[in-house]
Amino acid sequence: MIRREAEIVKYEARLAYMLLIPSFVILVVIAFYPLASVFVNSFTNKVFASAREADYIGFKNYGKLLSLTVKELPPVIDEGSGQPAVDRDSGKIIYERPVKILPREPRRYKEVLQFDFFGKRLVLGATDRAFVYAAFDTITFTVVSVIVEVILGLGIALVLNSRFKGRGLMRAVMLIPWAIPTAVSSRMWAWMFASTRVGFINVFLQMLGLGNGQVAFITSEAYQLWVMVAIDVWKTTPFMALLLLAGLQLIPQEMYEAGRVDGASKLRQFRSLTIPMLRPTIAIALVFRTLDALRVFDVFQIVLAQKRYSLASFIYYQLIDNQAMGYSSAASVIVFILIFLFALLYIKAIGGANSNE
Amino acid sequence: MNKKQISKVLNSGAFYLLVVVIFIYLAFPFYWAINSSLKSEAQLQMTPATLVPEHPVDNNFSPTLQNYQAVFRNRKFARGLLDSAIVAISTTTLALLIGSFAAFALGKLRFRGKSASLYLILAMTMFPQVAVLTGLYAVIRTLGVSAIPGMILSYMLFTLPFTVWVMTAFFKCLPTSLLQSAQVDGATPFQSFYLILLPLTAPALVTTGLLAFIAAWNEYLFALTFTSIEPTARTVPVVIALFTGEIAHQEPFGEIMAAAVIVTIPLIVLVFIFQKKIVAGLTAGAVKG
Repeated sequence: MIRREAEIVKYEARLAYMLLIPSFVILVVIAFYPLASVFVNSFTNKVFASAREADYIGFKNYGKLLSLTVKELPPVIDEGSGQPAVDRDSGKIIYERPVKILPREPRRYKEVLQFDFFGKRLVLGATDRAFVYAAFDTITFTVVSVIVEVILGLGIALVLNSRFKGRGLMRAVMLIPWAIPTAVSSRMWAWMFASTRVGFINVFLQMLGLGNGQVAFITSEAYQLWVMVAIDVWKTTPFMALLLLAGLQLIPQEMYEAGRVDGASKLRQFRSLTIPMLRPTIAIALVFRTLDALRVFDVFQIVLAQKRYSLASFIYYQLIDNQAMGYSSAASVIVFILIFLFALLYIKAIGGANSNE
Repeated sequence: MNKKQISKVLNSGAFYLLVVVIFIYLAFPFYWAINSSLKSEAQLQMTPATLVPEHPVDNNFSPTLQNYQAVFRNRKFARGLLDSAIVAISTTTLALLIGSFAAFALGKLRFRGKSASLYLILAMTMFPQVAVLTGLYAVIRTLGVSAIPGMILSYMLFTLPFTVWVMTAFFKCLPTSLLQSAQVDGATPFQSFYLILLPLTAPALVTTGLLAFIAAWNEYLFALTFTSIEPTARTVPVVIALFTGEIAHQEPFGEIMAAAVIVTIPLIVLVFIFQKKIVAGLTAGAVKG
């Protein structure tokens, strides 16, 4: 009998490995091997879809992507007076043009932005301006959209957590934005954001007395990022709300009753009961959404194409349009590390929070 | 009515107002797409845009179906629907099949390296797809597979880990006594898997299958990249993103909106039928996790 038991254990283990093999083979082929090859290619000048041998070029790709420099812009000296030249209309000091100040060797730096610091005018230069903008925009997009989604999602979840007629319908309606392909919702919203009064948003804003009905949301740099956030918020807030709603429903009703008996106000119940009980759910929703938002691609590529990049659409255009496989791989590795660091940070934060309780 | 009753009525009024505002916010873009899809080119250019299709001169209600006719005549769109159906159905089937094998092993069998395997698969659910884009495209070209099997294979990247994770949790909940009694009756573990456990897991298969199907139906990055040199394999999201019209010369927004409505309707039907299952699947990983 003991022998039979041992045989069963052995058989089970063998069966388990056999059942796991297909999954792991697939994951090796589509995840681990490609990741390794991206890592290797990032140190080469490999050209996509070309027979040319790639050369090992060390950290050059990373150097071009990540080189940043800050230089001081000296004021232009007026030749007559020997004093800094001043613009006649605005009365502001005229500074040297960044092109003259930023280094050209070994790689040429281009202006990213100018800022004042302790009365000095400084300029930030980068060797690949598009990548630095893409990184900055992606992180801004992530932070803003995730914060808005958590707040709006929590609001909607609280509304849906009370019993009312039509709650079932509302829940189904909430799944619609989530279920629509992002490609489709991006085009729907791009049309609503049209730059004249053929677009709904312009008509709506004008009805409210805002704007002149000619706001160029998609082509004007000032609005582009907020349009991206608006589209993403519409699409993902319902998902967030559903997660938080599921979390809310795990809170036992007796706790609220106990709170009422003790005379706690609604606000007090929310602050001292709902939020702490909901914290694990919020934390997990935050992780999912942040990691998702950092790799945003569809909405940027469809609405803005090459007008403005997210990190993912930067990688895509480097690969497909420029065929720069090595360079695109280096950008991929940076994104991978960035997302990995965020994941670690979150896991630590959540782990820490849980062990404190 | 006393004061208390009045405040109660006001409260519930404000509450329903809030519900209505949320409803409009969620549903309006879709309504706007339907509205635009029923407008002719001239009606689309009317300013200010109208809430229903109106005749440009006498402002009577006058919708048109010409955009829908154009979309159904559009070969690329019909082809895209077919490609999407093939890719999404194959992805779902493959993920469920392979995923439930792995999930059974992880949920019910005893072997070494179990928790390591489980964590590895969990980590995969957070894997950034864009990071492997270049490498994955190279793999697919090296293997010499065309775009459609290439998409099916690469969609395992986000469907398989999720399927394994949810199904493992489900298998764990099934009583081991079922397995043991089958063993006593002389069934091998594999027999007890497909004779006893698999039928019991049908509900979980439906949930994970739906989510895998929707994810595969909606995927855009891989589809766009892998079909860049094979336009006939383009799935619907790619076709809609690159849509050029049959009748209009500039960007044909009426047709795009009609195509958007057509693609969305099956998803809305799925959502209304399987609402509870989808929500259960979406929250399974996050809340109980």
